[in-house]
Amino acid sequence: MTPGPRAMSRAFTILAANTREAADSLRRARLRTVLGLVGIMIGISSVITMVSLGEIVKAQARKEFEALGTDILVVRKSFEVSSPEQRAAVVEREDAVALAPEVASIAEAAPRISGHGAFRHAGREVGHGAIQGVTESFVSVNRLSVRTGRFISDLDINRTWCVVGADIAAAMREAGTDQPVGTLIEAEEQLLTVVGVLEPHQESYALPVQVEANNAVFVPITTAARIVNNPEIDVIVARSRAGVHHETVAADVRAFFQARAPHLPLDVVTAKELIARMESQMRLLTLLLAAVGSIALIVGGIGIMNIMLVSVAERRREIAIRRALGARQRDIRSQFLIESVILTMTGGVLGVLLGLVATWTVCRFTQWEFLISGLSVASGLGTATAVGLFFGFQPAHQASRLDPIVGLQGE
Amino acid sequence: MVETEPPGFGSTQDRPPGATSDEGAAQMLQLTDIRRDYRIGPVTTEILRGVDLAVGAGDLMSIMGPSGSGKTTLMNIIGLLDRPTSGRYVLDGRDVSKLADDDLAMLRNAHIGFVFQSFQLLPRLTAVENVSLPLVYRGTNRAEMRRRALAALERVGMGERTGHRPDQLSGGQKQRVAIARALVGEPAVVLADEPTGALDGATAREVMALLASLNAEHKVTILIITHDPGVARQCARQVRIHEGTLVERTAGAPGASGAAAARHPASGTEETEEDPGASSAPPAIDPNPAREPTSRRDDTGEILNPAAPT
Repeated sequence: MTPGPRAMSRAFTILAANTREAADSLRRARLRTVLGLVGIMIGISSVITMVSLGEIVKAQARKEFEALGTDILVVRKSFEVSSPEQRAAVVEREDAVALAPEVASIAEAAPRISGHGAFRHAGREVGHGAIQGVTESFVSVNRLSVRTGRFISDLDINRTWCVVGADIAAAMREAGTDQPVGTLIEAEEQLLTVVGVLEPHQESYALPVQVEANNAVFVPITTAARIVNNPEIDVIVARSRAGVHHETVAADVRAFFQARAPHLPLDVVTAKELIARMESQMRLLTLLLAAVGSIALIVGGIGIMNIMLVSVAERRREIAIRRALGARQRDIRSQFLIESVILTMTGGVLGVLLGLVATWTVCRFTQWEFLISGLSVASGLGTATAVGLFFGFQPAHQASRLDPIVGLQGE
Repeated sequence: MVETEPPGFGSTQDRPPGATSDEGAAQMLQLTDIRRDYRIGPVTTEILRGVDLAVGAGDLMSIMGPSGSGKTTLMNIIGLLDRPTSGRYVLDGRDVSKLADDDLAMLRNAHIGFVFQSFQLLPRLTAVENVSLPLVYRGTNRAEMRRRALAALERVGMGERTGHRPDQLSGGQKQRVAIARALVGEPAVVLADEPTGALDGATAREVMALLASLNAEHKVTILIITHDPGVARQCARQVRIHEGTLVERTAGAPGASGAAAARHPASGTEETEEDPGASSAPPAIDPNPAREPTSRRDDTGEILNPAAPT
């Protein structure tokens, strides 16, 4: 009956008019509108928080492991022991040192022996921290960097030489030593000669083992074995070769120790596994938020439906007049659908803001980096629209089916 | 659209001898044997029992009847708000008796202007917005819509109060706005249902005078449904509805056909609601009194178009 462009312009005019109408009608029913909005707002803010936190944690993990490298793995004796043999078993130094040369999928391995104690220099205490016996590879495996001097070398067997972390070097400078390299420091009743100072190191909390390099004194692993109370290898931090699947690496490492120390209960944790673990924890949080969010959205949606049903009932005469003047059923339906979508979209926008505030708060506490993800905003507004359409449909349909004759009589 | 010759009707329709084909074809609406039943459970109530009616372009016609006579139902059918149970309804050359709801809505928008007893203005909208409403559903752009709505308000003498809401207007003013709304889309026919029913005497006279002048000066086809003989008498053509059937009783219409009557200055500009305007006019080619009580569907054209029998 009507040609294309004409019908388009008609649809547009009606849409514009319907939108103005709907906005106006909502403004007038303020209290009801506010009540409906609250439910939607809570629901949408849950959705936003859920999606944003997911995104943030993912970004956080990506960032952590970008610094750490996804090829990193940690090998140590498991805390879960079930027999005396297992309790007695230790990671032998020879085995630890042989790991990298003998296992093809391991590029580098850095075993560590560690103790704890106070460090003294020039007659005063310059720090309290770990005294760590390490090999030459420790610096590269843990991505440390040397500021002055050098790091421990594999040739430094049994030498009483040490490398100090940035905080300890700073304390030594405060004690009057401008250049710590070449001076003496006392640890575990042993005088050590400082051969190098490290750059400050940003600790990663993603790994189950902390290096605490800034507060540490590093000595050759052979030296540590003599001076530390418990000279066992507490951990091996290693790097796998490029392109090897993390599960393969873990299996190789297990096989290596199985052959050499059958009773040793072993923990092998790869970065990929840690990421997966982090994500599964996130999934739990997400699920919780999803549950809260969908309940709030259903409650809010039913509220919206109620508001719309009342609105339709109150405006039967208006609907009938519009029908008499030429509104088709679909014009009436779209008028009320637009009204409910405007309602839920307003709730959606408020919910997005509330959700972002909630996310920001969580980030403050967890020290994650806050970011606004486009995905979360889009999913919040998308959900709001969907809720508006879904819960608005029945009232709108009811409005469109109203018999104009009945509506015109009623008053 | 308006010029379209009604297909299938031009031939059966007898025309006044002198009329050009253009005028003769301008039968705005033609109802043939319209019946409307309401079925409640096993009981079927016949509201309309075979109504025949032809309204020509430019007619000013009244349908009078007491309440319960079926006039509201008839008006709903003519106004495309209701569909007849059976019968044929040709509006502006198109058979509309079996159309779907959406098509009826579009036709109402294009061809029918409603004036209701209780005005039926939307309380939240200003006069000009109320008048624009039919154009919204036609897809007219906003500027054009406003221009036409203002012009329509001007035509009914409401050019000064376009921004007022209904509650800021008197009854007569509200009805003028409603008439402007009925006119804005330039419909084929304005259907006025008791247009003066809610107004006091003086205001009622003003509104009737407005309708009459719109008919006389702008050739607007107007169909007034009323129970008030005073109102009915001001119309060139008058029909009565009684127990579901129509009886033509155009006592004093000066012209033969509705179109002719409308062109006649006397019929359009009557100022009183009393006799002179209607009854003192020379009797037209009168409807055959013998047939009056049984005026039914048999010879549609003849009875309903007074011009025909001559």
